[in-house]
Amino acid sequence: MQDRPTSVELLEAAADFVDRELVPAIEGAKQFQARVVANVMRIVAREIQLEDPAVRREVKALAKLLGHDAPHLHSLDDLRKAATGLGAELSAKIRAGDADAGAWRTEVLAVVRQSVEDKLRVANPRYVEADIAARSAAAKQS
Amino acid sequence: MASLEPNEMIRRLTDFIRAEGNFKSVAIENLRRMPGGASREIWSFDCTTIDDDRDGAERRRAMVLRRDPGAHKINTSRRNEFAVLRAAFEEHVPVPEVFWLSEDPAVLGASFFIMERVDGETLARRLLRDEKFSQAREVMPAQLAEILAQIHRIDPVKHHFDFFTEPGESAALTEVKRYEENFRLLALEPHPAFELAFRWLLGRIPKTPRKTLVHGDYRIGNVIFGPEGVRSILDWELAHLGDPMEDVGWICVRAWRFGNDQKPVGGLCSREEFFRAYEKASGASVDPEAARFWEVFGNLRWGIITISQARTHIDGFVKSVELASIGRRTAETELELLDLIE
Repeated sequence: MQDRPTSVELLEAAADFVDRELVPAIEGAKQFQARVVANVMRIVAREIQLEDPAVRREVKALAKLLGHDAPHLHSLDDLRKAATGLGAELSAKIRAGDADAGAWRTEVLAVVRQSVEDKLRVANPRYVEADIAARSAAAKQS
Repeated sequence: MASLEPNEMIRRLTDFIRAEGNFKSVAIENLRRMPGGASREIWSFDCTTIDDDRDGAERRRAMVLRRDPGAHKINTSRRNEFAVLRAAFEEHVPVPEVFWLSEDPAVLGASFFIMERVDGETLARRLLRDEKFSQAREVMPAQLAEILAQIHRIDPVKHHFDFFTEPGESAALTEVKRYEENFRLLALEPHPAFELAFRWLLGRIPKTPRKTLVHGDYRIGNVIFGPEGVRSILDWELAHLGDPMEDVGWICVRAWRFGNDQKPVGGLCSREEFFRAYEKASGASVDPEAARFWEVFGNLRWGIITISQARTHIDGFVKSVELASIGRRTAETELELLDLIE
Protein backbone atom coordinates (compact mmCIF):
# COMPACT_ATOMS: atom_id res chain seq x y z
CA MET A 1 0.00 0.00 0.00
CA GLN A 2 1.44 3.30 -1.07
CA ASP A 3 1.22 6.55 0.80
CA ARG A 4 -0.75 9.54 -0.40
CA PRO A 5 -0.80 11.23 -2.85
CA THR A 6 -2.56 8.56 -4.90
CA SER A 7 -1.46 7.83 -8.45
CA VAL A 8 -4.32 9.98 -9.73
CA GLU A 9 -3.33 12.88 -7.48
CA LEU A 10 0.26 12.63 -8.66
CA LEU A 11 -0.72 12.59 -12.32
CA GLU A 12 -3.07 15.53 -11.93
CA ALA A 13 -0.38 17.53 -10.15
CA ALA A 14 2.06 16.82 -12.98
CA ALA A 15 -0.53 17.61 -15.70
CA ASP A 16 -1.45 20.88 -13.95
CA PHE A 17 2.19 21.91 -13.91
CA VAL A 18 2.55 21.18 -17.63
CA ASP A 19 -0.64 23.05 -18.55
CA ARG A 20 -0.23 26.06 -16.27
CA GLU A 21 3.52 26.57 -16.03
CA LEU A 22 5.24 24.79 -18.90
CA VAL A 23 2.90 25.38 -21.87
CA PRO A 24 2.79 29.20 -21.47
CA ALA A 25 6.59 29.29 -21.17
CA ILE A 26 7.39 27.54 -24.48
CA GLU A 27 6.37 27.92 -28.13
CA GLY A 28 5.72 26.18 -31.40
CA ALA A 29 6.12 22.44 -31.86
CA LYS A 30 7.39 21.94 -28.30
CA GLN A 31 4.36 23.75 -26.88
CA PHE A 32 2.07 21.50 -28.89
CA GLN A 33 3.91 18.41 -27.64
CA ALA A 34 3.62 19.67 -24.06
CA ARG A 35 -0.16 19.99 -24.42
CA VAL A 36 -0.20 16.42 -25.70
CA VAL A 37 1.82 15.33 -22.65
CA ALA A 38 -0.66 16.96 -20.23
CA ASN A 39 -3.55 15.39 -22.13
CA VAL A 40 -1.95 11.94 -21.98
CA MET A 41 -1.47 12.26 -18.21
CA ARG A 42 -5.14 13.19 -17.75
CA ILE A 43 -6.16 10.20 -19.88
CA VAL A 44 -4.18 7.89 -17.62
CA ALA A 45 -5.67 9.52 -14.48
CA ARG A 46 -9.21 8.96 -15.79
CA GLU A 47 -8.37 5.40 -16.82
CA ILE A 48 -7.16 4.56 -13.31
CA GLN A 49 -10.50 5.72 -11.95
CA LEU A 50 -12.88 4.39 -14.60
CA GLU A 51 -11.37 1.24 -16.07
CA ASP A 52 -12.36 -1.34 -13.47
CA PRO A 53 -16.15 -0.82 -13.47
CA ALA A 54 -16.18 -0.24 -17.26
CA VAL A 55 -14.35 -3.45 -18.15
CA ARG A 56 -16.53 -5.48 -15.73
CA ARG A 57 -19.65 -4.08 -17.38
CA GLU A 58 -18.19 -4.71 -20.85
CA VAL A 59 -17.37 -8.36 -20.11
CA LYS A 60 -20.84 -8.94 -18.70
CA ALA A 61 -22.58 -7.29 -21.67
CA LEU A 62 -20.46 -9.10 -24.27
CA ALA A 63 -20.96 -12.48 -22.57
CA LYS A 64 -24.73 -11.98 -22.52
CA LEU A 65 -24.77 -10.82 -26.15
CA LEU A 66 -22.83 -13.94 -27.20
CA GLY A 67 -24.95 -16.31 -25.10
CA HIS A 68 -22.26 -17.15 -22.56
CA ASP A 69 -22.50 -17.29 -18.78
CA ALA A 70 -20.82 -14.26 -17.25
CA PRO A 71 -17.32 -15.36 -16.23
CA HIS A 72 -16.35 -14.93 -12.58
CA LEU A 73 -13.19 -12.93 -12.79
CA HIS A 74 -11.57 -10.70 -10.23
CA SER A 75 -8.24 -9.39 -11.41
CA LEU A 76 -8.28 -6.51 -13.83
CA ASP A 77 -5.82 -8.36 -16.03
CA ASP A 78 -8.16 -11.35 -16.36
CA LEU A 79 -11.06 -9.01 -17.11
CA ARG A 80 -9.09 -7.28 -19.85
CA LYS A 81 -8.20 -10.63 -21.41
CA ALA A 82 -11.84 -11.73 -21.25
CA ALA A 83 -13.00 -8.48 -22.87
CA THR A 84 -10.46 -8.94 -25.67
CA GLY A 85 -11.47 -12.57 -26.25
CA LEU A 86 -15.18 -11.77 -26.28
CA GLY A 87 -14.57 -8.76 -28.53
CA ALA A 88 -12.76 -11.01 -31.00
CA GLU A 89 -15.64 -13.51 -30.91
CA LEU A 90 -18.16 -10.73 -31.57
CA SER A 91 -15.97 -9.39 -34.38
CA ALA A 92 -15.94 -12.81 -36.06
CA LYS A 93 -19.74 -13.02 -35.89
CA ILE A 94 -20.12 -9.52 -37.37
CA ARG A 95 -17.70 -10.47 -40.16
CA ALA A 96 -19.74 -13.58 -40.88
CA GLY A 97 -22.81 -11.38 -41.41
CA ASP A 98 -24.66 -12.35 -38.21
CA ALA A 99 -25.29 -8.70 -37.31
CA ASP A 100 -26.25 -7.44 -40.77
CA ALA A 101 -29.92 -7.07 -39.84
CA GLY A 102 -32.56 -8.04 -37.32
CA ALA A 103 -33.06 -7.83 -33.57
CA TRP A 104 -29.57 -9.08 -32.73
CA ARG A 105 -28.06 -6.22 -34.74
CA THR A 106 -29.87 -3.75 -32.48
CA GLU A 107 -28.42 -5.47 -29.40
CA VAL A 108 -24.94 -5.55 -30.94
CA LEU A 109 -25.08 -1.85 -31.78
CA ALA A 110 -26.10 -0.99 -28.20
CA VAL A 111 -23.32 -3.07 -26.63
CA VAL A 112 -20.66 -1.80 -29.03
CA ARG A 113 -21.78 1.79 -28.48
CA GLN A 114 -21.51 1.33 -24.71
CA SER A 115 -17.95 -0.01 -25.03
CA VAL A 116 -16.93 2.83 -27.36
CA GLU A 117 -18.45 5.45 -25.08
CA ASP A 118 -16.60 3.96 -22.11
CA LYS A 119 -13.32 4.21 -24.04
CA LEU A 120 -14.08 7.85 -24.82
CA ARG A 121 -14.99 8.69 -21.22
CA VAL A 122 -11.31 7.96 -20.58
CA ALA A 123 -9.78 9.29 -23.80
CA ASN A 124 -11.97 12.32 -24.56
CA PRO A 125 -14.99 12.83 -22.26
CA ARG A 126 -16.05 16.05 -23.99
CA TYR A 127 -16.33 14.23 -27.31
CA VAL A 128 -18.73 11.63 -25.97
CA GLU A 129 -20.78 14.24 -24.08
CA ALA A 130 -21.16 16.32 -27.26
CA ASP A 131 -22.17 13.21 -29.21
CA ILE A 132 -24.82 12.24 -26.66
CA ALA A 133 -26.18 15.83 -26.61
CA ALA A 134 -26.32 15.97 -30.43
CA ARG A 135 -28.10 12.61 -30.62
CA SER A 136 -30.69 13.53 -28.04
CA ALA A 137 -31.31 16.87 -29.82
CA ALA A 138 -31.75 15.01 -33.13
CA ALA A 139 -34.10 12.49 -31.49
CA LYS A 140 -36.28 15.31 -30.11
CA GLN A 141 -36.49 16.91 -33.55
CA SER A 142 -37.69 13.78 -35.30
CA MET B 1 17.96 13.58 -40.88
CA ALA B 2 17.33 14.96 -37.40
CA SER B 3 20.56 13.20 -36.56
CA LEU B 4 22.46 15.14 -39.25
CA GLU B 5 24.40 18.04 -37.84
CA PRO B 6 22.89 21.30 -39.30
CA ASN B 7 26.05 22.45 -41.07
CA GLU B 8 26.49 19.01 -42.60
CA MET B 9 22.87 19.04 -43.77
CA ILE B 10 23.33 22.48 -45.34
CA ARG B 11 26.54 21.30 -47.03
CA ARG B 12 24.86 18.21 -48.49
CA LEU B 13 21.79 20.15 -49.60
CA THR B 14 23.94 22.81 -51.24
CA ASP B 15 25.88 20.18 -53.20
CA PHE B 16 22.67 18.43 -54.21
CA ILE B 17 20.95 21.59 -55.47
CA ARG B 18 24.08 22.78 -57.30
CA ALA B 19 24.32 19.48 -59.17
CA GLU B 20 20.58 19.16 -59.87
CA GLY B 21 20.09 22.71 -61.09
CA ASN B 22 23.49 22.95 -62.76
CA PHE B 23 24.13 26.16 -60.86
CA LYS B 24 27.37 28.04 -60.57
CA SER B 25 26.76 28.58 -56.89
CA VAL B 26 24.14 27.85 -54.26
CA ALA B 27 23.72 29.44 -50.83
CA ILE B 28 21.29 28.10 -48.23
CA GLU B 29 20.11 30.22 -45.32
CA ASN B 30 17.55 30.04 -42.52
CA LEU B 31 17.22 26.25 -42.57
CA ARG B 32 14.74 25.16 -39.93
CA ARG B 33 12.38 22.31 -39.22
CA MET B 34 8.76 23.40 -39.50
CA PRO B 35 6.32 22.37 -36.77
CA GLY B 36 3.53 19.89 -37.40
CA GLY B 37 3.45 16.39 -38.73
CA ALA B 38 4.28 13.69 -36.23
CA SER B 39 5.83 11.34 -38.74
CA ARG B 40 6.85 13.70 -41.49
CA GLU B 41 9.58 16.24 -41.74
CA ILE B 42 9.21 19.57 -43.45
CA TRP B 43 12.22 21.86 -43.57
CA SER B 44 12.08 25.47 -44.64
CA PHE B 45 15.01 27.41 -46.11
CA ASP B 46 15.95 30.27 -48.40
CA CYS B 47 17.99 29.35 -51.43
CA THR B 48 20.06 31.76 -53.47
CA THR B 49 21.28 30.33 -56.77
CA ILE B 50 23.51 31.75 -59.44
CA ASP B 51 23.00 30.32 -62.91
CA ASP B 52 25.96 28.70 -64.61
CA ASP B 53 25.75 30.72 -67.79
CA ARG B 54 27.11 34.01 -69.04
CA ASP B 55 24.26 36.03 -67.48
CA GLY B 56 24.92 34.46 -64.10
CA ALA B 57 21.45 35.52 -62.95
CA GLU B 58 21.05 35.42 -59.17
CA ARG B 59 17.75 34.19 -57.77
CA ARG B 60 16.63 33.92 -54.15
CA ARG B 61 13.74 31.58 -53.56
CA ALA B 62 11.84 30.38 -50.48
CA MET B 63 11.81 26.59 -50.49
CA VAL B 64 10.70 23.63 -48.45
CA LEU B 65 12.08 20.15 -48.31
CA ARG B 66 9.73 17.24 -47.64
CA ARG B 67 10.95 14.02 -46.24
CA ASP B 68 9.29 11.26 -44.21
CA PRO B 69 11.25 8.88 -42.03
CA GLY B 70 11.56 5.64 -43.93
CA ALA B 71 9.73 3.36 -41.55
CA HIS B 72 6.18 4.62 -41.99
CA LYS B 73 3.54 1.91 -41.81
CA ILE B 74 1.57 2.80 -44.90
CA ASN B 75 4.24 3.11 -47.52
CA THR B 76 4.27 6.18 -49.64
CA SER B 77 6.41 7.16 -52.54
CA ARG B 78 8.09 10.53 -52.82
CA ARG B 79 8.59 9.97 -56.55
CA ASN B 80 4.85 9.56 -57.27
CA GLU B 81 3.96 12.55 -55.14
CA PHE B 82 6.55 14.61 -57.00
CA ALA B 83 5.13 13.58 -60.39
CA VAL B 84 1.53 14.28 -59.40
CA LEU B 85 2.43 17.67 -57.92
CA ARG B 86 4.24 18.59 -61.14
CA ALA B 87 1.18 17.62 -63.21
CA ALA B 88 -1.16 19.56 -60.92
CA PHE B 89 1.08 22.63 -61.24
CA GLU B 90 1.06 22.33 -65.03
CA GLU B 91 -2.75 22.13 -64.97
CA HIS B 92 -2.94 25.32 -62.88
CA VAL B 93 -4.17 23.69 -59.71
CA PRO B 94 -2.94 25.91 -56.84
CA VAL B 95 0.03 23.84 -55.62
CA PRO B 96 3.65 24.68 -54.82
CA GLU B 97 6.01 24.36 -57.77
CA VAL B 98 8.24 21.30 -57.31
CA PHE B 99 11.95 21.55 -58.14
CA TRP B 100 14.08 18.47 -57.41
CA LEU B 101 13.63 14.91 -56.18
CA SER B 102 16.23 12.67 -54.57
CA GLU B 103 15.84 8.96 -54.00
CA ASP B 104 19.46 8.45 -53.03
CA PRO B 105 19.70 7.76 -49.28
CA ALA B 106 23.33 8.90 -49.36
CA VAL B 107 22.16 12.51 -49.74
CA LEU B 108 19.97 13.00 -46.68
CA GLY B 109 19.26 9.52 -45.38
CA ALA B 110 15.93 9.06 -47.19
CA SER B 111 14.00 10.15 -50.27
CA PHE B 112 12.96 13.78 -50.32
CA PHE B 113 11.93 16.52 -52.67
CA ILE B 114 12.25 20.26 -52.73
CA MET B 115 9.47 22.65 -53.66
CA GLU B 116 8.46 26.27 -53.53
CA ARG B 117 7.46 27.56 -50.09
CA VAL B 118 3.97 29.07 -50.14
CA ASP B 119 3.42 31.36 -47.19
CA GLY B 120 0.16 31.30 -45.29
CA GLU B 121 -1.74 29.54 -42.56
CA THR B 122 -2.41 25.80 -42.35
CA LEU B 123 -4.01 25.45 -38.92
CA ALA B 124 -7.64 24.54 -39.54
CA ARG B 125 -8.65 25.66 -36.06
CA ARG B 126 -7.55 29.22 -36.91
CA LEU B 127 -9.52 29.11 -40.16
CA LEU B 128 -12.66 28.08 -38.29
CA ARG B 129 -12.30 30.45 -35.32
CA ASP B 130 -10.23 33.56 -36.07
CA GLU B 131 -11.91 36.83 -37.11
CA LYS B 132 -9.01 37.35 -39.53
CA PHE B 133 -10.27 34.46 -41.68
CA SER B 134 -13.97 35.35 -41.82
CA GLN B 135 -13.74 36.14 -45.54
CA ALA B 136 -11.78 32.94 -46.16
CA ARG B 137 -14.57 30.98 -44.46
CA GLU B 138 -17.07 32.56 -46.86
CA VAL B 139 -15.20 31.84 -50.08
CA MET B 140 -13.48 28.56 -49.32
CA PRO B 141 -16.39 26.13 -49.77
CA ALA B 142 -16.78 27.19 -53.43
CA GLN B 143 -13.00 27.40 -53.94
CA LEU B 144 -12.42 23.94 -52.50
CA ALA B 145 -15.18 22.50 -54.69
CA GLU B 146 -13.78 24.17 -57.82
CA ILE B 147 -10.20 23.07 -57.11
CA LEU B 148 -11.38 19.53 -56.44
CA ALA B 149 -13.19 19.50 -59.79
CA GLN B 150 -9.95 20.76 -61.38
CA ILE B 151 -7.95 17.94 -59.75
CA HIS B 152 -10.43 15.36 -61.01
CA ARG B 153 -9.96 16.71 -64.55
CA ILE B 154 -6.19 16.04 -64.57
CA ASP B 155 -5.63 13.47 -67.30
CA PRO B 156 -3.61 10.48 -65.98
CA VAL B 157 -2.67 9.40 -69.52
CA LYS B 158 -1.44 12.82 -70.61
CA HIS B 159 0.71 13.07 -67.48
CA HIS B 160 2.01 9.49 -67.68
CA PHE B 161 0.72 8.36 -64.28
CA ASP B 162 1.72 4.80 -65.20
CA PHE B 163 2.97 4.18 -61.65
CA PHE B 164 -0.58 3.96 -60.33
CA THR B 165 -2.24 0.60 -60.05
CA GLU B 166 -5.52 0.33 -61.90
CA PRO B 167 -8.40 0.43 -59.41
CA GLY B 168 -10.02 -2.53 -61.17
CA GLU B 169 -13.71 -3.02 -61.73
CA SER B 170 -14.75 -1.27 -58.54
CA ALA B 171 -12.53 1.42 -57.05
CA ALA B 172 -14.69 1.38 -53.93
CA LEU B 173 -14.32 -2.36 -53.38
CA THR B 174 -10.58 -2.11 -54.01
CA GLU B 175 -10.20 0.63 -51.41
CA VAL B 176 -12.36 -1.13 -48.81
CA LYS B 177 -10.36 -4.35 -49.27
CA ARG B 178 -7.07 -2.47 -49.08
CA TYR B 179 -7.96 -0.79 -45.79
CA GLU B 180 -9.45 -3.97 -44.40
CA GLU B 181 -6.12 -5.65 -45.08
CA ASN B 182 -4.30 -2.81 -43.31
CA PHE B 183 -6.71 -3.03 -40.41
CA ARG B 184 -6.25 -6.80 -39.99
CA LEU B 185 -2.48 -6.32 -40.15
CA LEU B 186 -2.25 -3.43 -37.71
CA ALA B 187 -5.03 -3.63 -35.12
CA LEU B 188 -3.86 -4.97 -31.77
CA GLU B 189 -7.33 -5.25 -30.26
CA PRO B 190 -10.73 -6.26 -31.63
CA HIS B 191 -12.77 -3.33 -32.99
CA PRO B 192 -16.37 -4.51 -33.44
CA ALA B 193 -17.41 -0.98 -34.51
CA PHE B 194 -15.02 -1.20 -37.46
CA GLU B 195 -16.29 -4.69 -38.32
CA LEU B 196 -19.83 -3.26 -38.44
CA ALA B 197 -18.60 -0.44 -40.69
CA PHE B 198 -16.88 -2.89 -43.07
CA ARG B 199 -20.08 -4.93 -43.38
CA TRP B 200 -22.10 -1.75 -43.98
CA LEU B 201 -19.70 -0.65 -46.72
CA LEU B 202 -19.48 -4.06 -48.41
CA GLY B 203 -23.27 -4.07 -48.71
CA ARG B 204 -23.32 -0.65 -50.37
CA ILE B 205 -20.47 -0.59 -52.90
CA PRO B 206 -21.40 2.24 -55.31
CA LYS B 207 -21.20 1.86 -59.03
CA THR B 208 -18.34 4.00 -60.25
CA PRO B 209 -19.46 6.18 -63.12
CA ARG B 210 -16.13 8.01 -63.36
CA LYS B 211 -12.52 7.04 -62.88
CA THR B 212 -10.23 9.99 -62.19
CA LEU B 213 -7.17 11.09 -60.32
CA VAL B 214 -8.11 11.16 -56.62
CA HIS B 215 -6.14 13.47 -54.33
CA GLY B 216 -6.55 11.01 -51.49
CA ASP B 217 -6.11 13.44 -48.58
CA TYR B 218 -8.29 16.40 -49.51
CA ARG B 219 -9.21 18.15 -46.26
CA ILE B 220 -8.80 21.62 -44.79
CA GLY B 221 -5.72 20.56 -42.81
CA ASN B 222 -3.91 20.15 -46.13
CA VAL B 223 -4.70 23.61 -47.45
CA ILE B 224 -2.50 26.70 -47.17
CA PHE B 225 -4.84 29.65 -46.89
CA GLY B 226 -4.77 33.36 -46.25
CA PRO B 227 -7.43 35.86 -45.23
CA GLU B 228 -8.52 35.92 -48.90
CA GLY B 229 -8.96 32.14 -49.21
CA VAL B 230 -7.12 29.10 -50.64
CA ARG B 231 -3.47 29.55 -51.64
CA SER B 232 -2.23 26.01 -52.12
CA ILE B 233 -3.24 22.34 -51.84
CA LEU B 234 -0.66 20.15 -50.09
CA ASP B 235 0.07 16.51 -49.30
CA TRP B 236 -0.41 14.56 -52.51
CA GLU B 237 1.33 11.43 -51.28
CA LEU B 238 -1.92 9.43 -51.18
CA ALA B 239 -3.02 10.38 -54.70
CA HIS B 240 -4.30 7.47 -56.78
CA LEU B 241 -6.75 6.53 -59.51
CA GLY B 242 -10.27 5.90 -58.34
CA ASP B 243 -13.75 7.23 -57.72
CA PRO B 244 -13.70 11.05 -57.44
CA MET B 245 -16.45 10.78 -54.81
CA GLU B 246 -13.79 9.42 -52.47
CA ASP B 247 -12.38 12.95 -52.10
CA VAL B 248 -15.90 14.35 -51.62
CA GLY B 249 -16.59 11.90 -48.79
CA TRP B 250 -13.16 12.41 -47.19
CA ILE B 251 -13.59 16.17 -46.77
CA CYS B 252 -16.78 15.41 -44.77
CA VAL B 253 -14.98 13.24 -42.17
CA ARG B 254 -15.80 14.36 -38.65
CA ALA B 255 -12.21 14.73 -37.45
CA TRP B 256 -11.64 17.71 -39.79
CA ARG B 257 -14.53 19.72 -38.35
CA PHE B 258 -12.76 20.50 -35.10
CA GLY B 259 -16.04 20.50 -33.21
CA ASN B 260 -17.90 22.57 -35.83
CA ASP B 261 -20.24 19.64 -36.40
CA GLN B 262 -23.20 21.64 -37.69
CA LYS B 263 -21.07 22.28 -40.81
CA PRO B 264 -20.01 18.81 -41.93
CA VAL B 265 -17.64 19.85 -44.74
CA GLY B 266 -14.50 20.74 -42.81
CA GLY B 267 -16.52 22.86 -40.37
CA LEU B 268 -17.13 25.28 -43.28
CA CYS B 269 -20.43 24.42 -44.92
CA SER B 270 -23.22 21.88 -45.38
CA ARG B 271 -22.80 18.80 -47.54
CA GLU B 272 -25.49 20.07 -49.91
CA GLU B 273 -23.73 23.41 -50.46
CA PHE B 274 -20.45 21.66 -51.23
CA PHE B 275 -22.06 19.07 -53.52
CA ARG B 276 -23.85 21.83 -55.50
CA ALA B 277 -20.63 23.82 -55.90
CA TYR B 278 -18.75 20.70 -57.03
CA GLU B 279 -21.51 19.81 -59.52
CA LYS B 280 -21.41 23.32 -60.93
CA ALA B 281 -17.62 23.26 -61.31
CA SER B 282 -17.27 19.71 -62.63
CA GLY B 283 -20.42 19.22 -64.63
CA ALA B 284 -20.71 15.82 -62.94
CA SER B 285 -23.54 14.99 -60.55
CA VAL B 286 -23.00 13.98 -56.93
CA ASP B 287 -25.02 10.97 -55.83
CA PRO B 288 -25.69 11.58 -52.10
CA GLU B 289 -25.70 7.82 -51.45
CA ALA B 290 -22.26 7.45 -53.02
CA ALA B 291 -21.00 10.47 -51.09
CA ARG B 292 -22.32 8.91 -47.87
CA PHE B 293 -20.59 5.64 -48.68
CA TRP B 294 -17.31 7.51 -49.06
CA GLU B 295 -17.92 9.54 -45.90
CA VAL B 296 -18.37 6.32 -43.90
CA PHE B 297 -15.31 4.89 -45.63
CA GLY B 298 -13.39 8.08 -44.83
CA ASN B 299 -14.15 7.89 -41.12
CA LEU B 300 -13.18 4.22 -41.10
CA ARG B 301 -10.00 4.98 -43.02
CA TRP B 302 -9.07 7.75 -40.56
CA GLY B 303 -9.72 5.29 -37.73
CA ILE B 304 -7.33 2.78 -39.31
CA ILE B 305 -4.75 5.53 -39.81
CA THR B 306 -4.95 6.34 -36.08
CA ILE B 307 -4.16 2.68 -35.37
CA SER B 308 -1.30 2.82 -37.86
CA GLN B 309 0.15 5.97 -36.28
CA ALA B 310 -0.03 4.44 -32.82
CA ARG B 311 1.71 1.32 -34.17
CA THR B 312 4.51 3.48 -35.56
CA HIS B 313 5.19 4.48 -31.95
CA ILE B 314 4.44 1.13 -30.30
CA ASP B 315 6.71 -0.76 -32.70
CA GLY B 316 9.45 1.78 -32.07
CA PHE B 317 9.84 3.12 -35.63
CA VAL B 318 9.26 6.66 -34.42
CA LYS B 319 8.98 7.21 -30.67
CA SER B 320 6.60 10.11 -30.15
CA VAL B 321 4.08 11.05 -27.48
CA GLU B 322 1.93 12.58 -30.21
CA LEU B 323 1.80 9.37 -32.26
CA ALA B 324 1.21 7.39 -29.07
CA SER B 325 -1.69 9.59 -28.03
CA ILE B 326 -3.35 9.25 -31.45
CA GLY B 327 -3.97 5.60 -30.56
CA ARG B 328 -6.55 6.81 -28.08
CA ARG B 329 -8.38 8.75 -30.79
CA THR B 330 -9.47 5.57 -32.58
CA ALA B 331 -12.59 5.43 -30.40
CA GLU B 332 -13.70 8.84 -31.73
CA THR B 333 -13.97 7.39 -35.22
CA GLU B 334 -15.74 4.31 -33.87
CA LEU B 335 -18.43 6.48 -32.29
CA GLU B 336 -18.85 8.53 -35.48
CA LEU B 337 -19.19 5.31 -37.51
CA LEU B 338 -21.89 4.01 -35.16
CA ASP B 339 -23.73 7.33 -35.56
CA LEU B 340 -23.49 7.08 -39.37
CA ILE B 341 -24.48 3.44 -39.88
CA GLU B 342 -27.16 2.91 -37.25
